[in-house]
Amino acid sequence: MFDVLFIGLSLSSILLLVALGLAVTYGAMGIINMAHGEMVMLGAYVSVLANIWLGANLLVAIPIAFVVTALIGLVIERLVVRRLYGRLLDTLLATWGIAIILQQAIRLEFGLSFFGIHVKGLGSGLQNVPVPQALQGTVSILGQDLNAYRIFIVAMTLVLAVATWAVMYRTSLGMKVRAIIRNPGMAAACGIDVKRTNAITFALGSGLAGVAGVLMAGFKTVAPDMGATMVVDGFMVVVTGGVGSLFGTIAASGLLGEFNALVAMVSNDIIGRAAVFAVVICVILIKPAGLFTFKGR
Amino acid sequence: MLDLINLESYYGRSKALNGITLSIPKGEITGIAGRNGTGKTTLLKTIMGLTDDSSGQIRLSDKDLITCPTHERALSGIAYVPQGRGIIPEFTVRENILMGAFANRAGKRSIPEIVPELFPYLADNMSRPGGVLSGGQQQQLAIARALAAEPDVVLLDEPNEGIQPSIVEEIEAVILRMKDDLGLTVVLVEQNIGFLRRAASSFAMLEKGRVVEAGKIDALSDEMVERHMTI
Repeated sequence: MFDVLFIGLSLSSILLLVALGLAVTYGAMGIINMAHGEMVMLGAYVSVLANIWLGANLLVAIPIAFVVTALIGLVIERLVVRRLYGRLLDTLLATWGIAIILQQAIRLEFGLSFFGIHVKGLGSGLQNVPVPQALQGTVSILGQDLNAYRIFIVAMTLVLAVATWAVMYRTSLGMKVRAIIRNPGMAAACGIDVKRTNAITFALGSGLAGVAGVLMAGFKTVAPDMGATMVVDGFMVVVTGGVGSLFGTIAASGLLGEFNALVAMVSNDIIGRAAVFAVVICVILIKPAGLFTFKGR
Repeated sequence: MLDLINLESYYGRSKALNGITLSIPKGEITGIAGRNGTGKTTLLKTIMGLTDDSSGQIRLSDKDLITCPTHERALSGIAYVPQGRGIIPEFTVRENILMGAFANRAGKRSIPEIVPELFPYLADNMSRPGGVLSGGQQQQLAIARALAAEPDVVLLDEPNEGIQPSIVEEIEAVILRMKDDLGLTVVLVEQNIGFLRRAASSFAMLEKGRVVEAGKIDALSDEMVERHMTI
């Protein structure tokens, strides 16, 4: 039982990592960012490339991936998303397009494959990243043998969730973001540069997705289309938890991850996933605004 | 001080202001009156850059703000107390006030010294969420937030609307002190002609998005009020 709950916890952690960025961008900016999953994918590829070309292990790849995906996020915001604020469905279509472009860019090795040049680590094939020696094997906690890498994922998620919370609730940037979530007009009238704040938020959200990608590369094969399912999972968590609520996102990822693991234990993984969808549908039917929503006048 | 020249404003494709020209004198209260739907709130929103589109000129100390985004107008020294107050319910009283300080040109991020004196209730309840305050207290909070920006001009949209009578008097006193003690230029949208006559030095009467009467407050006759405000 304990090991099932632990697997659930690590599933929850991945869900949370993907959803954290979405919670902020969807909540704060009202953008359905379908390219968020591709930020996860790009983060994973950063770790693949860093491993092949720099000999850097997964731990070193984490900050690199954060910077790279945050910068790519910034460019996407500047070029496309910025022009689409307030047009929810248009953001969905445009970012979906970006997602496809990014996937193909990896498959076609940024176009180099047309010229017969092949970059090791890119292309349509599957890639693998070795887990550092220190994170292999199992660790014994309370008489239970737990997978060391899963413990690392849970710990990293905890660190990033706390960091995100601190940025949102303890910095002036976070205060600006929260003000924009509730009342963008009033936020601007109070001197907050909404566009600039949104751009930074989008970049940070993308960076978080990139880190999720690196962590995922440690236990999943890396492929150009790995992001597509991630974005669905991410939105599921955000919508279940309540849009704009960081706590809701954390709680929902915990709930869905554990539920998935528990159902998968008594049946199988596919039923487990179906059961998660059933829970999400029920939550949306009963509480359309999500589990944790804003209160107040 | 604040000069509006041929100001037009739009919600989507419908025109809400039809060429408003108005000079707002420095350090005084200018009252904006008129029936509902004549463009009073739209005028303030347009000055703040919160309508969909606008044209004309908004000259503040000889700088034209019409093309500036909203936050730059705030940083030019215009603070806005909107109708409905625009309090963030989850933010504490302190956070709501400090939100206004993002527009403080000196970069000062603190509760204005005058706040405890003007609004003792707020000073005693800094950690309560803004959403649990009564309407009148929220109005005080919105004014305190505007003061945190240390602005030159304050736009007040019906500050006494839907507020218990005991607080109405307090708010009226605060508005007078904003002019007398802080030297602020106040643009006051107000239905209460009695208060306008007591507080304002000049007025503008709006009808169908135009200024139909304007001048010194002494010129605001009962006949004008009858013609443009009674339903």
